[in-house]
Amino acid sequence: MGNITTSKKLIPPLDGMPDISIIQLPTPKTIALSAMDIPYIRPKLLVKENEPVKIGTPLFCDKRNSSIQYVSPGAGTIKRIVFGERRRLKEVVITLDQTEEYLEFDPIGLKNIQKAPKEDIIAMLQKGGLWQGLREFPSKDTADHTRTPTMIIVSLNGNDPFSPHPGIVLEKKSDLFKSGLKFLKRFSPNIIVTAREDSLQRLEKIKHDISHIVANTYPAWDPGVVLYQLKTRVEDNRAWCISAEHLVLIAKFIETGQYPTDRVVTVTRTPDRKPHIITRQGAPVADIIGNMAENTLITTGHFNGHLVDPESHLGFFETTLNVIHDQPEEEMFGFIRPGLEKPTASKTFLSCLLPTPKKLDCNLHGEERACINCGYCTRICPVSLAPNFIMKALLSDDIEDALSFGLWDCTRCGLCSYCCPSKIELTQILSKGMDEYYKDKQ
Amino acid sequence: MKKLKQLFDENEEHFTGSGKFKRLEPLFDATKTFFFLPSPQNRQTPFVRDNLDLKRYMSFVILALMPVLFFGMYNTGYQSGLAHGETYTVLKSFLIGARYVLPIIIVTYGVGFFWEVLFASIRGHKISEGLLVTGLLFPLTLPPTIPLWQVALGISFGVVIGKEVFGGTGRNILNPALTGRAFLYFSYPVSMSGNIWIAAKDLVDGISGATALAVVAPEGESITGALSQAGFGLSDLFLGFVPGSIGETSALCCLLGAAFLMITKIANFRIIIGGIIGLILTSLIFFFIPGGSGTWMNAGPLYHLCAGGFLFGISFMATDPVSAPGTNQARWIYGFLIGFLTVTIRVANPAFAEGVMLSILFMNVFASLLDHIVMKSNASKRIPNV
Repeated sequence: MGNITTSKKLIPPLDGMPDISIIQLPTPKTIALSAMDIPYIRPKLLVKENEPVKIGTPLFCDKRNSSIQYVSPGAGTIKRIVFGERRRLKEVVITLDQTEEYLEFDPIGLKNIQKAPKEDIIAMLQKGGLWQGLREFPSKDTADHTRTPTMIIVSLNGNDPFSPHPGIVLEKKSDLFKSGLKFLKRFSPNIIVTAREDSLQRLEKIKHDISHIVANTYPAWDPGVVLYQLKTRVEDNRAWCISAEHLVLIAKFIETGQYPTDRVVTVTRTPDRKPHIITRQGAPVADIIGNMAENTLITTGHFNGHLVDPESHLGFFETTLNVIHDQPEEEMFGFIRPGLEKPTASKTFLSCLLPTPKKLDCNLHGEERACINCGYCTRICPVSLAPNFIMKALLSDDIEDALSFGLWDCTRCGLCSYCCPSKIELTQILSKGMDEYYKDKQ
Repeated sequence: MKKLKQLFDENEEHFTGSGKFKRLEPLFDATKTFFFLPSPQNRQTPFVRDNLDLKRYMSFVILALMPVLFFGMYNTGYQSGLAHGETYTVLKSFLIGARYVLPIIIVTYGVGFFWEVLFASIRGHKISEGLLVTGLLFPLTLPPTIPLWQVALGISFGVVIGKEVFGGTGRNILNPALTGRAFLYFSYPVSMSGNIWIAAKDLVDGISGATALAVVAPEGESITGALSQAGFGLSDLFLGFVPGSIGETSALCCLLGAAFLMITKIANFRIIIGGIIGLILTSLIFFFIPGGSGTWMNAGPLYHLCAGGFLFGISFMATDPVSAPGTNQARWIYGFLIGFLTVTIRVANPAFAEGVMLSILFMNVFASLLDHIVMKSNASKRIPNV
């Protein structure tokens, strides 16, 4: 078992850690398939409003590769198709029937997972809406099934520090997980399984499958960071990654031929410690969150998530919802207060001496200024980038320089924007640079 | 506090949108944000942000300068007393010193803010906090006897030519405070040359007192002996009871400020430590070169460290992040070369008694080149990913 350590422990401990207990939410009235959290997708609708659908009926596909389909997580009638800015598909909302029917696929069976023709499995997963779980570096676009990656990284932990505990996600599913690893073996000989130090105690059954233990500091367990630490040659840049949860879903789908719909999610809201929640994929956000105060933001990750509309539904990749409070008052002489309560990655508040968990808020704490080259972003970057230099290269349209400085290694963890004292949107500038370059290349 | 907030809210309309004083919006904004830290909701990922902002960042440099400033005021009065042949009490020294130092600081901030507000109004951007630091660093590099019109001229040159013509804080190549000082140094050498730096204007005699770096030993004597004869013993230089620019005399206070900046990680320790290493190594090399026993060549590392403005420069000027390099390796080289050049100028060029200002400005110019080399070498070590 390998260790991936990181010396960078700059993030203050955060408040709002979810509790280990589990509750099950009742079946919601509506459910939706979201297109917002699938990177780079150009959705093409396959259904119309008021059409009846089953669990597993394809709702839209990717225009770039129409064999990759995205299927309904519930059975009922399509209530509404929601579009966002520029007529981009946001989500397909379905009113659920009392008894739900499955669109049955021919189950391959876990025993045959190593013997069945590879093409059959790929076709089944692409049709069944689960191929999207496999992502390909460096863009994290949907994996290209014609390639053989040099390694596949399986993360037991999600994107956020408070993503669901793998012990709960994989509870009673360790056999499925092991079968899933066998399935991945068919694509690449080198399977990396990573787990955080603090989630090991509930993972006894799959302990021997874990290949690397990663440090407990965000974002050490991010597959991009793991890849950066492990890669030794150029070919490794196009490794694949998948979350343990999706791997289990794939194994279950191969076993039963029915699209699995249950998901484990966490809700974090300081100072509460909320339990893990078992609910359906695509459940309404409002049902999961409960009532919320004004001026709060809901995100799918403290540092790297996107904003969630309380009216919308949970996406395929979303496993955590952070309710982040607003700090109501502008502080008098805020720039010189001792700040015992204030979370910071710097050493300029007394709070950096206290190890207690800190409460985060969704405010900017300052105004945007020009970059003063202080180097906080370089110090905090988990993949040793210099975001300030890359930002300047991108702003002067010098993509070659930006790439040579390692732009494609960026995992969009958000720490550079988090710690920037000039409040520059570094993550956004770098992400945009990567996206534009990737779209050009396609 | 609530009333103040109300006052700002009520008057905001005059300064924004189509208000009467729209042009002065940056000034209004700077005053308002000085009292009330703005904290809008995040609209971009990540949705949580660090509490450190540039106002706090710059305020910490001001805090670090406090020992230097207060000691500088005290020492100005103390030296004035010595020139009068008296020993003033601490309070009297401090008050007399304040009478010389405060007008210089007030003029600097006044004129500096005038230019800053002017440029911010024309360009329509916010007033940057960088001036807070520049406006305190600049007076501390000046002799207490400098005429106030020269202060105004110097800070104008520093802010306009040193900073604003490049686009403002964050885009300047040279340290604005040092640019202003260099301008005064070359334009008005009489006020800056180091011979009449004691604040005792009303005396006809006894106003000349050379600074330590201007001391040259007579034939046959060693430099250290000549220095202690002239009142520049090592302990005096370290504690700072010697004539000189307001802020530079006390090595101890500079070290306190440097330690504070390094602990809070506002200044990069690599520059400060690198600079001190550079200075010590270079002065040792000169020390072991035969000859020159009566000059600063033979002074050894401790005297070089404590005399002149080196510690002030390396702690507060060289660590200005904008004009210093942004990569760690480059910071070591940059600091080291500042130390090296300071000693070299002091020893090899008697025309410029003080080398630290010129060496920092010189290295400022090379900072981006050093960064370029380091970034290229770092890029070649990465596994290419395109």
